[in-house]
Formats: sequence, structure tokens, C-alpha cells
Amino acid sequence: MEINHIAVAGTLESSDAMVTIEPGYGNIELELSSSVMNQYGRQIKETILQTLSRLNVHSAKVTVVDKGALDCTLKARVECAVYRSCDMSNENLPWGGIIQ
Amino acid sequence: MEYTVIPISVNDKGHIKQVETFLHKEGILRDTHIDYTCGIYDEQDNLIATGSAFGNTLRCLAVSELYQGEGLMGQIMSHLMEYQALHGQTHIFLYTKPKMSALLQSMGFYTISMVEQKLVFMENRRCGFENFCKDLKSKMPNEKNVAAIVMNANPFTYGHLHLVEQAAKENDAVHLFVLSENYGPIPFNVRYQLVKEATANISNVYVHPSGPYMISTATFPSYFLKDKKNTIITQARLDVDIFCKISQILNIQKRYVGEEPFSTVTAMYNNVMAQMLPKFGIDFVIIPRKKYEEHQISASAVRLAIHNDKLNDIKSLVPPTTYEFFAGSQGIQICERLKRMTPNNIIHY
Repeated sequence: MEINHIAVAGTLESSDAMVTIEPGYGNIELELSSSVMNQYGRQIKETILQTLSRLNVHSAKVTVVDKGALDCTLKARVECAVYRSCDMSNENLPWGGIIQ
Repeated sequence: MEYTVIPISVNDKGHIKQVETFLHKEGILRDTHIDYTCGIYDEQDNLIATGSAFGNTLRCLAVSELYQGEGLMGQIMSHLMEYQALHGQTHIFLYTKPKMSALLQSMGFYTISMVEQKLVFMENRRCGFENFCKDLKSKMPNEKNVAAIVMNANPFTYGHLHLVEQAAKENDAVHLFVLSENYGPIPFNVRYQLVKEATANISNVYVHPSGPYMISTATFPSYFLKDKKNTIITQARLDVDIFCKISQILNIQKRYVGEEPFSTVTAMYNNVMAQMLPKFGIDFVIIPRKKYEEHQISASAVRLAIHNDKLNDIKSLVPPTTYEFFAGSQGIQICERLKRMTPNNIIHY
């Protein structure tokens, strides 16, 4: 999927994460900050990158500010940001397809 | 208890007054220039948290003493970040008090500079400032005596040229930063182009866009929009503090400015520099204005002449490159824009 414009999903509240996605330069550039970086940093990063690759996003600048979100929350926020960035969040989302 | 963030219209005098009083209680002066304000109210319609946006910055952020630790700042920040993204802004700056900086750090902001334990300036890019400096450094030759000039060049005059030539004569390399903010009637790319053309034959002058960290609407909004004296001084201090950080990385030892008899804000800025720069080991050099037949040359005078439809008058004030631009086909639109403006808006305050 191609990122057309900037989009945001999520909040900065506790147990949530704010995901900002912008068009990239041919790769995934991830900037992650997390309140539980030392404990779960690697796992959070993995979840974000996996979700992006499942959605076929290969060129994007992604900023995630994590406030201790669960994996499912992170996935949902990344998916939402990606679909918003290509104006697809109003259409029939592929539930059960690439959105798992 | 669940709270919702509500936008507060700038025209809603009653609620804005409430914001002002609230901020005052928290020891914050509400900024004069604001694009957007939001707030959270309790059941009795009392304001308990607020935040504002201006350009790519966030400011006037506060949560009532009685409601700390309930995650209200997170709500305000989420709302404002969404507002910024909606307006296409992702590189965001903010001002806050030192006691708030830890909280905002947990929301993805990183400190760039702190002024006198009073004001912290942050951005939401981990290496934003660092990369900006690195990028500049990679474009710079390794010289011993390095000087810098930061100018608006609105547009480039013989006065500017005199300043640049003087600095070029006295130093091995001169870095000339042209303000990248698009504020007045003459857009950045025109100002930049005219500086480049006029200085092309001076081999040790390097022209750069000033970027978001030098006299930008983020670091120094009152340079562009009228404001109170105290605000100007605080912002000037912040700007100079950041400049000193840049200088340390780029090995800049001198800053050249033109003497400023006209504009209040630039004169105040020069004063702040005269006080602060020597403390950081940077020489502050003021060059007297170049004169033409008793009159000191200024860019304001050039804009005013164009405004009055006296294009011929500027011939003696600006280099041929600048004159030809305004006399040529590309310059027509900008001349028209200047003619439509009121003289008060043409002269830098």
C-alpha cells in the first residue's frame, strides 16, 4: 500500500499509542519512543514492522509514541493510520483479509 | 470521570478570558498569536486543562494543580497533535515550563534548549536538531576562522552586500543563512536566489537556508509578528541560545550583523546577542550601515520605493541582480503585492 499523505491514529493517553505515518523515501523509517522501552522496546518495534509489512507498506516514515499499549492496540493503531493515510478508512476495510 | 477536549474559538471572548485567567494562575502569559486553542472543563464548567497551537508549534500548555496525574495533558496533547497532522504538520515544536518537560518527554518530545530555568523548547524528532547540524556540517569546508551572518535579505541590498564583503574579507569562511520562513510579500526562494546571485563571485561565502532553528516562527515568532517587549526578549534569548549550540558544532567564532537604527525588534535582538554571544566565546561584530547620499540603505526603504511605484529609485540601493529581478517579468507579481500593502506592514517594526 502506498502512503499518500500524513495520517495519525491513537492518543497519548496511558495504555495507548500515537502513530504518525508520512510518505517515505523507499524504506521504512521508524522512530519509536516508549514508556516501557527498556522492557518491551524490541517487541513493540517488531509488532509495528510486522503490521506494516502485512499491509504491504514498504516506504514510510513512521513515528510511534507508545504509552504502554498492548500488542493488539499497537496493531490496530498502525492499521488505522495506514488506511487513513491512503484515504481508505471510509471504504470497506478488508477485515479478515490483511487486517487480521 | 471522563473528560472531553473541546475546541475554544478565538472569537469566544468569554471562554478565551477564562483561558487567560487560568494560564495566569499557572504562571503562564497567554501568547498574542495563536491559531487554535482547546480545553477540558469539569462538571461546573471550570477550565481544568488547556493547550494552544500556532504554526508548527504548541504552547500555553497547562493542567490545573488540582487535576494533575489524571492524564489530562495526554488528552490535550493528543488533540493538538491530531490538529497539527490535519494541517500537514509533523515536525512539531513546543514551549513549556521546565517542570513540565519530563511529562512531555514521555509523549515523544525532546529538549533542544532551555532559557534561564524559565522556558524549555522541545521538538518531536529525536535527532531533529542533531541532524540539522550534521547536515550543515557536511556542507561546510574545514576552515580556521569561520563567521556567520543570519539575514532576512528582504530583498538583498548594497547594505547586505557591504556586510557580507566585510565579513568575507576578515574571515576564511562566511556562512550566510537566509531566513527560510515565508512571511512577507517576497517569498523565500526569491530572497535566497537574489542572495546567491549577488554573492556568487565571493568565493569564501556559503549560502544556506536558515531552517527551523534560526529566527523561524518556531524559535522567534515575534520577529515576524508584533509582540510585547518581554516576549521579544525571551524569544530572542532562546534563538541566540540555539544559535550558540549550532556555532559550537560548526566551529563558528564570529557573528556579523548590520547596525540597526530602524527596526525595534532587530535592535532588541542585536542587544541580546551583544550580551549573550561573548559568554559563549563568539565575537559579535556590528558593521555600520552603508550610506547612499546621506541615507542609510535598508531593505525597508527598498520595499517602500517599490510600494510607491518608484522602481528607478532602488537602482542605487540594490545590486543589479536584485534590480533586474524586480524590473523583470518574474518580479511583477511581487511588485504588485507590495503596492497593495499598507506602508505600515511593509516596514519591519
